[in-house]
Amino acid sequence: MSADVAIVGYGRTPYSRAKPGEPVYTVDEYIAWAAELALDKAGMSKNDFDGQGLGVSHAEVAHTVNWSAATAENLGISPQVLLRADQGGASAAAMLIRAAAMIRAGVVDRVLVVGADTPLNMPSVAPGLPLSPERTRGVYWDFQGPFGVMGASAQFALVLQRYMHEHRVTPEQLGKIAVSTRYHASLHPGAIYRKPITLEEYLGSRMLTDPIRLLDCVPIVNGGLAYIVTSAATARSLTDRPVYLLGHGEANNYYHGSRSFPDITHTGFTVAAPQAMQMAGVTHKQIDFLEPYDDFPFIAMMTIEDHGFCKKGEGGRFVEEHNLHFDGDFPLSTDGGQLSGGQPGGAIGGFMPLVEAVAQLRGEAEGRQVPGATIGAACGFGGIPYGRPGRSCVSIILGT
Amino acid sequence: MNDLSRGKPQPAITDLTRPFWDAAREGRLVMQKCSRCGTINFHPKPWCIECGCRDLPWTSAGPLGTVYSFTVSRSVAMNSPVWQAELPVILCLVDVDQGARMYAQVTHCTPEEIYIGMRVAVHFDPADSELSVPRFRPAASPGVMTV
Repeated sequence: MSADVAIVGYGRTPYSRAKPGEPVYTVDEYIAWAAELALDKAGMSKNDFDGQGLGVSHAEVAHTVNWSAATAENLGISPQVLLRADQGGASAAAMLIRAAAMIRAGVVDRVLVVGADTPLNMPSVAPGLPLSPERTRGVYWDFQGPFGVMGASAQFALVLQRYMHEHRVTPEQLGKIAVSTRYHASLHPGAIYRKPITLEEYLGSRMLTDPIRLLDCVPIVNGGLAYIVTSAATARSLTDRPVYLLGHGEANNYYHGSRSFPDITHTGFTVAAPQAMQMAGVTHKQIDFLEPYDDFPFIAMMTIEDHGFCKKGEGGRFVEEHNLHFDGDFPLSTDGGQLSGGQPGGAIGGFMPLVEAVAQLRGEAEGRQVPGATIGAACGFGGIPYGRPGRSCVSIILGT
Repeated sequence: MNDLSRGKPQPAITDLTRPFWDAAREGRLVMQKCSRCGTINFHPKPWCIECGCRDLPWTSAGPLGTVYSFTVSRSVAMNSPVWQAELPVILCLVDVDQGARMYAQVTHCTPEEIYIGMRVAVHFDPADSELSVPRFRPAASPGVMTV
């Protein structure tokens, strides 16, 4: 794939845990803030997107759901094309693929992609009131909540338990990811949890839903992110550091093996990652860092496996044998990930791997810069299907 | 006290799903079976996920199954404090004989006893006269009829 599309700007607002006294911002305020950061980085104005593209990620939490055209109205942008993704944590990466296709087709030259969520602004939630619109209706949720499914951590615990039954991974190996990710968060001024943790603290953290511990779980935050994608020609006129989209792959509603009794220890990255790498024409050795969608350490580990950095079942050992730090031999979640950085809603965290990958490839990851990084992989992972992990898996390969 | 009065999450019952809940109230586990390819579909689907056939008559599933995976929920999440009194809750994915895979609680079992591969049998709480949610318990436990 020729490097004909590039990312030229990115923004990530400060996050908030909505503690008393902190300012309370709406979704559209966070979107405007993130867009401003991205526009400043690119040297562009919001008016550059009139007649162009605007991508708006679906905010997951019921009271924050934003219509794309209403967001355009609130921003005062009159785009020709509105892109929308409702693929949870895969939305940001999926919209990059859609934006690139529109640019390659000559429909538009540039697209501003935004997302924000404010799950913690909820005034008060009555017992049993579902958090997500998809959970307020539909047969999907009708057959989960009443049956004892108490949320994402329990759903993912079922996946990890099965993984541990079929393959080998130790709590120490998963803890290494959590500890390393927190180390990176200590180097990122925008991360929510910046105090380093030890493996002992990870292992000693409260078991929430076996085998998921407290320090396996993402902290939910309010926040917004944005990025700008343009044709390569426009990118080169704006910056001397465009970050090119080299390859992408995507798998939605992936079943491994069988639809009725799938093997849930494999994710859709099994399909998406080889697609992306083949399109980019890169080998594993050429990839300088991996930014997984790390809502749980074992998801990061399965992402490593399903991208083919090691064989299925050897992810634990791979993690153990590699240095995951930004200056190590396998830099992972170099911004502190969502695990320690914070997850804006259930969907917007998916911008973080992309934003961090672009910062790394522009050499702007101050204090945590992967030395000499020229090619990076970033992932989107979104939605929890019934009894399986990750409805949408998107692999992105970026390069300078 | 039944599930309704405890204020647990409740399903919306629709024409699509009513046969499941009607059967549950009568102590039977049923699932949709594709009239064309025979695939069992669960949770209820608008057409067969294997072949796309929209004719999915309900058929008996179980009563036995095998634990495919489990978790022991030790604290409530998702704003569902109504589960607090029951903790720890053993939530499983159960591969139902003559059926499909489903989320379900396993009761009559301690967190130490549950394991992947455990044979379990469906049961229904007779106190839940309006709405009965199928749960499972170890097939080897007293009072379980096997077929």
